[in-house]
Amino acid sequence: MVGVVTETRLDRDDAPRLTGPGIRQSMSGLHTWAGLLLGWVLYAMFLTGTVSYFKDELSQWTRPELPHQVAVPDRAAVAQRVADELTRTVPGSPQWSMRLPDARNNSVYAFWRAAPQAAGRRGFGEGRFDPATGRQVAARDTLGGDFFYRFHFQFHYMSVFWGRLLAGAAAMFMLVAILSGVITHKKIFVDFFTFRWGKGQRSWLDAHNALSVFGLPFHLMITYTGLVTLMAMYVPWGEQAAIKTPAERQELSAQLSAFIQPGKPSGEAAPLASVADMVRQAQQRWGRDNVAQVTVTHAGDAAARVAVARGEAGRVSMSPQYMEFEGATGRLVDAHEGVGAAAETRGVLYALHLGRFGDIVTRWLYFLVSGAGTAMVGTGLVLWTVKRRRHLADPDRPHFGFYIVERLNIAAIAGLSVAMTVFLWANRLLPLGLAGRADWEIHAFFAAWGLTLLHAVLRPARKAWVEQLWAACALLALLPVVSAVTTQRPLWQSLYAGDWVFAGIELMLWALAALHAVLAIRTARHRPAMRSARRPVRDPARRAALGEAGA
Amino acid sequence: MTHLPGFMLCLTGFAALGLAMDRPQRDLLGRTLPVAAIRALRLAGTCALLLALGLLVAWQGWGLGLVMFSGHTSLAAGVVHCTFIAYARTRTPPPKRR
Repeated sequence: MVGVVTETRLDRDDAPRLTGPGIRQSMSGLHTWAGLLLGWVLYAMFLTGTVSYFKDELSQWTRPELPHQVAVPDRAAVAQRVADELTRTVPGSPQWSMRLPDARNNSVYAFWRAAPQAAGRRGFGEGRFDPATGRQVAARDTLGGDFFYRFHFQFHYMSVFWGRLLAGAAAMFMLVAILSGVITHKKIFVDFFTFRWGKGQRSWLDAHNALSVFGLPFHLMITYTGLVTLMAMYVPWGEQAAIKTPAERQELSAQLSAFIQPGKPSGEAAPLASVADMVRQAQQRWGRDNVAQVTVTHAGDAAARVAVARGEAGRVSMSPQYMEFEGATGRLVDAHEGVGAAAETRGVLYALHLGRFGDIVTRWLYFLVSGAGTAMVGTGLVLWTVKRRRHLADPDRPHFGFYIVERLNIAAIAGLSVAMTVFLWANRLLPLGLAGRADWEIHAFFAAWGLTLLHAVLRPARKAWVEQLWAACALLALLPVVSAVTTQRPLWQSLYAGDWVFAGIELMLWALAALHAVLAIRTARHRPAMRSARRPVRDPARRAALGEAGA
Repeated sequence: MTHLPGFMLCLTGFAALGLAMDRPQRDLLGRTLPVAAIRALRLAGTCALLLALGLLVAWQGWGLGLVMFSGHTSLAAGVVHCTFIAYARTRTPPPKRR
């Protein structure tokens, strides 16, 4: 029976092809190359995006000077304290805005536009404020978790415009790779729980499929909504054609953001009414813990306006909801609680990407499934080399294309783990008084990443994998120790105090160290099955199966 | 905390649906199940997943409920898959490399 099938297939293979390649074969090529060309960029975007689900926690960990927050303070009182401080320290600022503390943020982040006469040009300032005193806090200079977050969609050492454009191109490639992948691996649903252990290329393919299929709704959603977050930049022409007057622009802004724009000041001085009272009114409307942001324009002027914005908890939408008050009197002018259908669609998709609405369990689900997405990209990149290594004439001297992909894979996957951990080491080790300290943390990240690429080029491929995975393991495992030595917040103390932000991150570092150790050990033990690879595959049925496996 | 029952239902659902498939049956049980058992497993698996969806949506509404359901199903499928692999490997020694 097998023979008959083989013969039939052989006949079909030998028959002259009258049509082009089938849809699956076309999609296979598309999937391979769409996945590979920007695969390294995508891997970096996925991994930094994944850790960004704990951006606020990472930011707390990178600023150990800010004390552990046992309970979230009364937001109304905090808003008043920081408002008083900003009124005093940045007088004449046309606009300032503060993000109030919450369960994940132990400080108030504020930014402000500089007063025109002071700067002579449009300038911005920002700072972190102690909720208890309202004073600016003297935490170490760092971007913290925001570095990974910003890198995730705009990279670094390039203009924001080009960075975001590259991120958009990568996301488009990802979308193409996902859709073509579903068509190519047509058996992903039939083989839903299939894993063939120790079978080289097949095992890699099974792992790639499992990581892709289990999280497929998430992978599709996150890629598409990632494009939506920056859609106004990628396709600006509709907006340019429709929105022309300043009034229309203001209306658009109100549909997208709770940042009220500063109009013209009256020139008549009038002290700001009680910001605490305004926040309390918002708390009555949305709940005590659901007020996130206060924006004030022209504080100290009779034309001052205050917007108190609702938080993102419990609603899958980033659409702005805010109460607008007259600054001088505290009178409620308007409550913006809804936007148009188009803006709401965008708001929902945006929120789905950021996942800020969820509780801690949902956040972990986002983190884990996004981690599976990272592994999906990683296994896809490795699969490209696994499939082709079998067909190399001499695996020790591969052709140039293979060499490039293999070495870039090492630096992009194992090297990124090293670089990201080095960033956190730099956060603990760089002198606190170093000028441009936050920048130096980032330089350390890129220097480490560059060194891993150099190492990947200089060492034999398998040794480079193993050494970099062990390096990442050692760096991750030792980081809590370094933190214990260099700060007043050692792990045992965090555990004792119930500080789950610090303890959680450091325990996670150890878990990741263990993961890298397992990967290093398995890579070191692995012996590629070269013997069978060099033997030409004569059986067409098997050849077809291999072709499918490598797609 | 509705997350835990939601997740457990997803886990049960995928375990049943997985066991209704041919390859896991051979890997885990060493034989294939009768048609009636496969139908019962499919029905039980589908019901468990629908119940998880209903539970999460009733708790948090459609928006949040669907997002949570998606996360729980992804994680549960992964856990079931890893359990199947681990169980199959304890039953049979790893294949020798040629």
